[in-house]
Amino acid sequence: MFAYNLKLAFKSLNDRPSLTILMVAAIAVGLGLFMTMLTLSHQAGKIPMPHISKQIHLVQLDNREVTADEAENFNQMVDLTYQDTQNLLKLPSAGVEQTLAWNTNGILNVEEQEIQPQRSSVVATNQAFFTMFEVPFLYGEGWDSDADQFSQAVIVLSKKSNDYLFGGINSVGKQVRLNTHVLTVIGVLDDWFLARKFYDRSYYQAWPDQAFIPSNFAFDSDLPRNARFDCWSTTTNPGKFRTNYLTELKTSECAWITFWAKLPNHNLEDYKTQLGQYIDSQKRLGRFPRENQYFLTNINDQLEVISNMIGREQMLGVISYMFFAVCLINAVSILLAKFMRRTKEVSLRRALGAKKRTILQQHLIEVVFIGIIGGLFGILFSYIGLQAMLRVSLYASDYVRTAADLMPYHQMDWEMIMMAFTVSVSCTLLVGLYPIWRICNVSPASQLKAQ
Amino acid sequence: MEIKPIFLSIKHNKAIAMLVIIQVAITLTVLSGSLLMTTSTLKEWNLPSGIPHNNIISAVPEFYDLEVDVRQSLVDDLARIEAITEVINVSPVTQRPFDAQGIQTIYLEASAEAQEYETNIFTGDANLPEVLQLSLIEGRFFREDEIVVGQRDELPAMPPIVMISEAMAKVLFPDNNALGQTIWLEKGAAPAEIIGIYSNFMNGENLNYFGQSYRTILQPLVTWQNRADPSYLIRVEDGMADGLLETIRNQLYKVDGRYVNRVEVLTRTQKRMYDGRGSHAIMLLVISSVLLLITAFGMAGLVSFLVTQRQKQIGTRRALGAKKWDVVRYFMLENGVLTTIGIVIGLVLSIAFAFVLTEDSGVNILDMSYIFATAFFIILVNQLAVYLPAKKAANVAPAIVTRSA
Repeated sequence: MFAYNLKLAFKSLNDRPSLTILMVAAIAVGLGLFMTMLTLSHQAGKIPMPHISKQIHLVQLDNREVTADEAENFNQMVDLTYQDTQNLLKLPSAGVEQTLAWNTNGILNVEEQEIQPQRSSVVATNQAFFTMFEVPFLYGEGWDSDADQFSQAVIVLSKKSNDYLFGGINSVGKQVRLNTHVLTVIGVLDDWFLARKFYDRSYYQAWPDQAFIPSNFAFDSDLPRNARFDCWSTTTNPGKFRTNYLTELKTSECAWITFWAKLPNHNLEDYKTQLGQYIDSQKRLGRFPRENQYFLTNINDQLEVISNMIGREQMLGVISYMFFAVCLINAVSILLAKFMRRTKEVSLRRALGAKKRTILQQHLIEVVFIGIIGGLFGILFSYIGLQAMLRVSLYASDYVRTAADLMPYHQMDWEMIMMAFTVSVSCTLLVGLYPIWRICNVSPASQLKAQ
Repeated sequence: MEIKPIFLSIKHNKAIAMLVIIQVAITLTVLSGSLLMTTSTLKEWNLPSGIPHNNIISAVPEFYDLEVDVRQSLVDDLARIEAITEVINVSPVTQRPFDAQGIQTIYLEASAEAQEYETNIFTGDANLPEVLQLSLIEGRFFREDEIVVGQRDELPAMPPIVMISEAMAKVLFPDNNALGQTIWLEKGAAPAEIIGIYSNFMNGENLNYFGQSYRTILQPLVTWQNRADPSYLIRVEDGMADGLLETIRNQLYKVDGRYVNRVEVLTRTQKRMYDGRGSHAIMLLVISSVLLLITAFGMAGLVSFLVTQRQKQIGTRRALGAKKWDVVRYFMLENGVLTTIGIVIGLVLSIAFAFVLTEDSGVNILDMSYIFATAFFIILVNQLAVYLPAKKAANVAPAIVTRSA
């Protein structure tokens, strides 16, 4: 019976091919847009370094004035002042790694005249950065604590910068200039994919940095500090600290450096106690006028706060859901039209003794089949849709970002493909409910009278 | 009249009637929502530039070696660029059209509570109006000897004269002639006299966003302050711009300690100014048109089903003397009634949706005329989707009834 029903279902699909095509098209197009938006948000919601993301904490201390506003979450809180980063780095704590990071920029150039200089965004940090964040190296390695302490002129290049400046060879030991400062290459990164660039709190997708240098070296060379300076209201024009007044900045109450601690679970409480003690000790020096408050936020919790603030994609998301709904309603109409044309045939079969269940089975097969085909084409459409979104991003960035950098954010994974089939089949079943119910309730022989 | 039979038939086919109504309502909501978003994104989009941007090259070099003698390299750069045969004119500037950074404020009085007027100040030498091909509306252009040259912090005095654009003049002096008046470019600084009014050109994204695209001021000033100053605007012979980019880049690289960041035709700068908004709007438009297509096809499919179901009814009517047009009109009227109900529900949903979008984006995008236009368009498409199958149905021969009975 099943084989016979299968045959009937295929025959029916072939019967009025234009209606079948229309129905598959409606589901596939709707699903295509739906899956495009779902994949984008699925990829955007991914967490960088998921295996250690819960251990990596952003450290923020509330050194603001008494009059400052209460902060509800880390995003409303200031980062660290220079002196606090230096003090925290000295905390005696076994098993806890700490790093600091701030952004600067400069022109990377080499002696060879034929290689033109390249404007680069550079991260100033310390040696722990590379071990804490498990940064992959192609050649060489990160610098050691001596390099931090004596602000040695060393640099870690990204793979792309190394390709551009040195043609991709092992450049460890070679010299590169950042503006006019000569630095020695100590390591070259391998491809380092981060779902979001968390370490400078930009949470950008696909804007990798080109080089990493010791923070102390960056201070000594007075490189520009691309940061937001949260200063006490008595500080005039904090923007001046970008390129000037370094000595004043170092002793000021201006918060601007992001600070990270890797805390395996058993260390969390100890670290909290230490932070509390540190704030108390600073209070005795007349700092930290507010109640003891600090934020320790791991990467997962940060992304939760951040993902609530992204607007434009969400609007497109809402539109894509409604779009899918229209396509499904359309599919109901078409399916109804398709099935009701068969009233006569069904009533004949019923009159000849076919059970309701048999009729149900035949039409279910047909609907599931449409669902699978719709799912296949829907995946194809969402692939095209994702490619289109990637082109749009490239165009909108004036081709500054590269397709290779953007690719991971515009890719379907197996999870999404399975999701597409599940959504497609379950939605077509939902769509088929009413038409199938109608056709199954055709009474035997009712349509035969007229003949 | 057919209204009564139509209602009877709708009552008979409740499910299909509901489907049509829901579909129309949601389509109207989605379509008008994305249309409102599109129009609000495209506001002030791709306005005339006022300059021959296809023939102007903007070059932005950057010194990474702070020891370089900027004044000398400025002279060298200008000499090298002017030596290129296809170059008509060049001017050292600090801002470029389509790319003006930030918003500057100017004042009509020296007092502390003077009203602020927003604008973008462009600096350049006497060649600048010629490079941009601005036409003089009143007064005169700068003379060579009026140009102040020097590092920003070491300037002896700011130039005592400025020129302003036509649009700026209208804002500052709506009733009087702007020529000869004085304005303050900074609070507490010396005033500057307006010596000329020139034709409008596009400033940049910031003011464009507020609908103030043509507010500009020209200052006879060649100055440098940060590593990226000065940059150059170069007008070249018609059609030669693209071929000259590499040449100009190489000429600029003849000064050591410098990185040549961006050498591009202003057309590209213009594209960059608009591309975020443009791509977003195009995306919405593509989605909307696909949606409309799907709805139209669905409607056509549905009607052709209704029609085949009622072949006998049509045949009877035809046999009883109804004209073909009567049959077509019946279907169109039936669809019209359903669509109208859908539209009414859709209107309510659309307004609610527009409110949500407005709350999200902070920009009021609600504009009833777009919603009504969308509604009208949906009715039109639906009626067309009905007309075609109905016309086919009307061709049913009157005798078909007798045959099949």
